[in-house]
Amino acid sequence: MAADLPDAPLPQDGQSTGQSSPSENQQKQAPQAPSLGDLGFTPAQTQANAKLQARLNKRTHMLKVHQTLGLITAIPMVATLITGPQAKAKGRNGQTITEPTPANLDFHIALGGLTTGMYWTTAYYAIFAPKIAGVKPRGAIRLHRDLEWVHGPGMIITPLLGIAAYKQENAGEKVHGLASYHGTAAVVTAAAYGAAIVAVSWPIHLKFWEK
Amino acid sequence: MKFLCAVLLLAALPLHAQNQYVLQQSTLTWHITHPMHDVDGISHAAKGKGVCSGGTCDFLVAVPLNTFNSGDSNRDLHMLQVVRGAEFPMVVVRTQLAQSALKASAIDADLTIQFAGQTVHYSHVPFHRTMHGKDVEISGTIPATCSDFKIDRPSFLTVPIHNEIPVTVNTIWQPM
Repeated sequence: MAADLPDAPLPQDGQSTGQSSPSENQQKQAPQAPSLGDLGFTPAQTQANAKLQARLNKRTHMLKVHQTLGLITAIPMVATLITGPQAKAKGRNGQTITEPTPANLDFHIALGGLTTGMYWTTAYYAIFAPKIAGVKPRGAIRLHRDLEWVHGPGMIITPLLGIAAYKQENAGEKVHGLASYHGTAAVVTAAAYGAAIVAVSWPIHLKFWEK
Repeated sequence: MKFLCAVLLLAALPLHAQNQYVLQQSTLTWHITHPMHDVDGISHAAKGKGVCSGGTCDFLVAVPLNTFNSGDSNRDLHMLQVVRGAEFPMVVVRTQLAQSALKASAIDADLTIQFAGQTVHYSHVPFHRTMHGKDVEISGTIPATCSDFKIDRPSFLTVPIHNEIPVTVNTIWQPM
């Protein structure tokens, strides 16, 4: 069985370093030199798989886009969090209520919309990246993926609560009910999103500039 | 006549036995360095054989790329992609040594490595030999680089990993 195995895939191109070339070295090999077939690997281990390579290439491309878009998305996400308080009516019950200016409100809504759009575009590239059969997630990627279950629903709930809060404010009402949790949902979502970025990058050299 | 053949066969067996080595255990570790990360990928799945004849020994060690484990499946799949591990699933290392060199504690080996669709020769790679009873432990580090094998260096936050990807080799061979 092992003797029927194919030899190592032939390289498409050759290169050599050192004093002698590979062809010279192979010429020097004795006829009894062991071959790959002698080692007992299964054909599945030794045979080239062009389809799998194509899937790996597509997967890497999509996850690189996912990584880049994910980092860019963090910018409007943080900006949306920062502008949140300016888009909120201020004043407790019994006190004078100060409504946010339309400019502040519109700016916050625009940033929130941009963040939501970019977030789901980022998610698309991870969700639809080709899966590789037989590979179970191990290591930091597991926490990165588990955190999807926090920031994913958060990126649905937060905009919905934001819309509800906007409608209540436009109706001259103080934000109440579930809509009053818009800010909390946003903070939890952003925290989970940040943790997902750190998780997939961990461990990090703290003094990376010394490397 | 049959008896004579049997005697000759039995007499040849010990001679044959001393001239072959089989890889019993191995730990191969690649190491990558990035300004923000240092990562090792380890495989214990190498298989190898050595055949000695006429004063020289030919050794072959091969390991499937998909057996390297860095502790992160995402990184391992990315490694397979950048080294074209589905098209070229094995790393194959060949070397030829004088049989007398196997008795020294320091071994200077010329290696021919097939990896990532390239064949690269490394001259004078130092290895250390230690005896454990009959078994022979051979260890050393292969000074591989991404550029030798035309590997596009993976990057993180747009910063690529270092070009050097040294592979530490620890093998235990059993004479047959």
